[in-house]
Amino acid sequence: MLRTLPPARLAAVLTLACGAICLMLAPVAPWVTKWPAGWTLPATEWIGAIVTAGLEAVKPAARLMADLLDYPMGWATWALTALPYPATIAATVALGLYLGGWRMASGGLAGLGFVLASGYWQPGMNTLALVVVSVPLALFAGAAIGIAAYERPRLRRPVQTCLDVMQTVPTFAYLTPLLVLFGFGPVVGLIASAIYAAPPMARNVLLGLERVEPDIREAAVMAGTTRRQQLFLIELPAAKRQIMVGVNQTIMAALSMVIIAAVIGGFDDIGWAVLLTMRKADFGNSLISGMVIVIFAVVIDRLSAALADDRPGTRLYGAFIILLAGFALSFLVGGLLPPAGDLALFNGLAAATDARLGAFTAAYGPALDALRNGAMFYGLLPLRIGLDQAVLPMTWGVQWTPLASAALFAAAGLAAAGLLWRGRFGWAVALLLATGIVETGIVDLPWPFVLFAAGAMGWVGGGPRLAGFALAMLMPILLMGLWAPAMLSLYLSGAAVIACALVGGALGLASAASPALWRVVLPVCDFLQTIPMFVFLIPVLMFFQIGEFSAFLAICAYAVVPMIRYTRHGLVSTPDEMIEAAVASGATGWQTFREVRAPYAVPQILLGLNQTILYAFSMLVIAALIGTTDLGQQIYLALGQGDVGLGLAAGAAMVMLALLADRLLQAFAAAQKAALGL
Amino acid sequence: MTGLHSRFLATTALCLMASSVSAADLGAVDEPIKLAINEWTGQHISTHIAGRMLEAAGYKVEYVTAGYQNMWEAMAEGELHAAVEVWASNVPDTWHQLHDAGKLEDVGALGLEAREGFVYPAHVAELCPGLPAYEALKDCAALFATPETLPEGRLVDYPGEWGTPGADRSAALGLGFKAIPAGSEGALIAEIRASVERKTPLVAVFWQPHWAMSAFDLHFVALPEGTDACYADPAAGPNPDVTGDCDFLPTRVFKATWPGVKDKWPAAHEILSNLTLSTEMQQPMMGAVDVDGKDVGAVTDAWLAANEAIWRPVVEAATK
Repeated sequence: MLRTLPPARLAAVLTLACGAICLMLAPVAPWVTKWPAGWTLPATEWIGAIVTAGLEAVKPAARLMADLLDYPMGWATWALTALPYPATIAATVALGLYLGGWRMASGGLAGLGFVLASGYWQPGMNTLALVVVSVPLALFAGAAIGIAAYERPRLRRPVQTCLDVMQTVPTFAYLTPLLVLFGFGPVVGLIASAIYAAPPMARNVLLGLERVEPDIREAAVMAGTTRRQQLFLIELPAAKRQIMVGVNQTIMAALSMVIIAAVIGGFDDIGWAVLLTMRKADFGNSLISGMVIVIFAVVIDRLSAALADDRPGTRLYGAFIILLAGFALSFLVGGLLPPAGDLALFNGLAAATDARLGAFTAAYGPALDALRNGAMFYGLLPLRIGLDQAVLPMTWGVQWTPLASAALFAAAGLAAAGLLWRGRFGWAVALLLATGIVETGIVDLPWPFVLFAAGAMGWVGGGPRLAGFALAMLMPILLMGLWAPAMLSLYLSGAAVIACALVGGALGLASAASPALWRVVLPVCDFLQTIPMFVFLIPVLMFFQIGEFSAFLAICAYAVVPMIRYTRHGLVSTPDEMIEAAVASGATGWQTFREVRAPYAVPQILLGLNQTILYAFSMLVIAALIGTTDLGQQIYLALGQGDVGLGLAAGAAMVMLALLADRLLQAFAAAQKAALGL
Repeated sequence: MTGLHSRFLATTALCLMASSVSAADLGAVDEPIKLAINEWTGQHISTHIAGRMLEAAGYKVEYVTAGYQNMWEAMAEGELHAAVEVWASNVPDTWHQLHDAGKLEDVGALGLEAREGFVYPAHVAELCPGLPAYEALKDCAALFATPETLPEGRLVDYPGEWGTPGADRSAALGLGFKAIPAGSEGALIAEIRASVERKTPLVAVFWQPHWAMSAFDLHFVALPEGTDACYADPAAGPNPDVTGDCDFLPTRVFKATWPGVKDKWPAAHEILSNLTLSTEMQQPMMGAVDVDGKDVGAVTDAWLAANEAIWRPVVEAATK
């Protein structure tokens, strides 16, 4: 009978069978649920030894690169710190006026005015110096990678993987090797920030080029241009809108990484101020110092967006006068102005914010506890350790029994049979699997079942290659002895991704429908993406204490943003002709949305989901500061022990999980798209 | 207060006399000595005092911010020259590896009397009568329970990379507490703040000198006295089966340098070796910075001006 089943159904049935066998074996064979320590290879030691030897070999070249980067970094620092602040502010305002008119000019003035008033001007300028060097570096590298991948389709797959790795391996995992290679100081932070910030640019350049309308390309070919002319004069300009999304994301990513530069140290930047205030749990001041980073991000982003617009610059004379006035002010009466660091107008505000946070915690303590306990008892705990262990008299008010398990499985079996009878085979299998997972808990899932299920999904979604990929990603985690923390990571980021996909997708949809809402959501997105997450840890911890719910919230706060952005961008960027055609053929608003906009947006939404998955995994390290015990924590342990091998192994395990989740999802999405005829 | 003050002077003077007193070459005075500035206020104070003393001897000093966890490789390469306040309790293993390889030098204790232990905010004594005696914790364990630790009580431990002293002691003493790693110092402080604001139960592993001890009125739990015997011999301490069933041993706080300092700046090496700073001296300065919001440089300069008798002899012994 098995022979007659289509492969997808066969795989599903076999996976179910494997799960059932594992469930039955678990009580008698403990190795099914827990990978025996004796089967673990000393892989982390090997990695440590190999990497340490390899580092010595490339060290001279890396040091040379660091020394070279020291020059632009030094110039930028010198220019920004030597220039009196009225001149810097005037230059920004003048540029804003020239590129974007009075609105942008006043935005720049307000932003830099805030930085000045906060008293963080000097550290802010040091940070800006780092960003001024790292953003162009990341943009250039990202664009080069994206164009190379577009020109050589065979490179696309390895390049994609490489970009995923760059975005997912937390910097902390390779911090020790990075320090050994590049020495000490801000340049290491600069390199780390460029590594992390380049991928969004590369991805968007590639996506933008791929989506250039064929007729534009054909017109260029017919005009007799060379390949290079065609690329730089026709295709890249045509892809500009998508590329600008990349520029925006790269700027945001580079600024979100300035905190790493501070963790390394070497110069007194704004990230250092954030770290010091985070250490004191001083929310008011950490919020203000974090806001400085946000302001830089927003100002740079809006200016670069205006620069990319084709509108010629306006108000050249006005801009020139402002610039002149700023310089005149600083050189004529500069001595009379208060020094930049002396202003601290927000001390009272910071103290008030902090006091309000305390008062809120005190006033709503029981309600916050109830919220956390509810989420833990009925959501996160069952997902982690399963209903069989999460349902206790102290949590649900009843004790879980084997009878309850039997009843649950019987009910699920009946429901599945019902679904099967109606021809819903996929839903029936999914229901049974979900029941098994919730009963057992992700952390306690037998590893043979996880391997089998991932392999089967790979097989169905992408054939033997993807099945092999799935096993190749999971086996090393087992062999390195990192299975338990890896499953914790999977559970935590999995829960966060599901929440983000639902909430972010809905917000993106609403923002696409309502420009007014987008005007509110956009600055919130910028804020969430660039403010160092350290800042949020304080209120989250005060409200919900150390634990998984806090970690879950911290991950969601960061990972939800790409989902919102890409969903909205996909929905609003449908070409006008397609909409006009739909309207002309008599489609209603809803029909246009469902038949034209939504399908057209699918690739972008999928890219958003990819980014959300990667962001969720990359946030695990920050979440570890709240005291999780997953892979993120392993990375800190490795840092404390100076264990290069463990750090890299934990980072690699994170990447493997993220890649696997992403590839499986993309394969199924591709199959779905093909089925829809897109 | 004056009595206490003159006692510092006496102890410090004794310390100074005991240490080797011999003038040394200044060495390369034109090149700045780079002192590491780490992430906590006490360290800033110690470092600024050391920096001023080196300047008084005729050196140039540069303060370089550096991550405590990650700076040791840079110091071994001579990109940083000294760290004035290193805590043996949370120094990363990299320090030990590099020190054992002769790439970093330990130039003696700073003199801070550091104490680690289990702490609780004052209001918790009302919730769990019997504190500070550690036996009280056994009876109150259920009071400290949370969803993650049920049915055991919850003990907030050090961040994972500092070790698991809370978990070890809770198990050795059979307290019935599950230790949750804090993840970071900020997380520990946020926990304590939330507990004080909401008057909820909390026991955490913490240390002094730290500004939070007085700011949040934290008290140490009276664990069985920590002795070398307790860590070597299972019979010592209340639990006859295990070692480590007692309070922490005092933590050594010391100064570390790049080994090249000795040859490049001999007198600076001597000053850094002989420099001491007691808890009683550092604590009020920490309060002035963290609680009153004053600038580190201003606070240490005021202290240096008022206590010339303490530090000037160290500088002069090394240079004259």
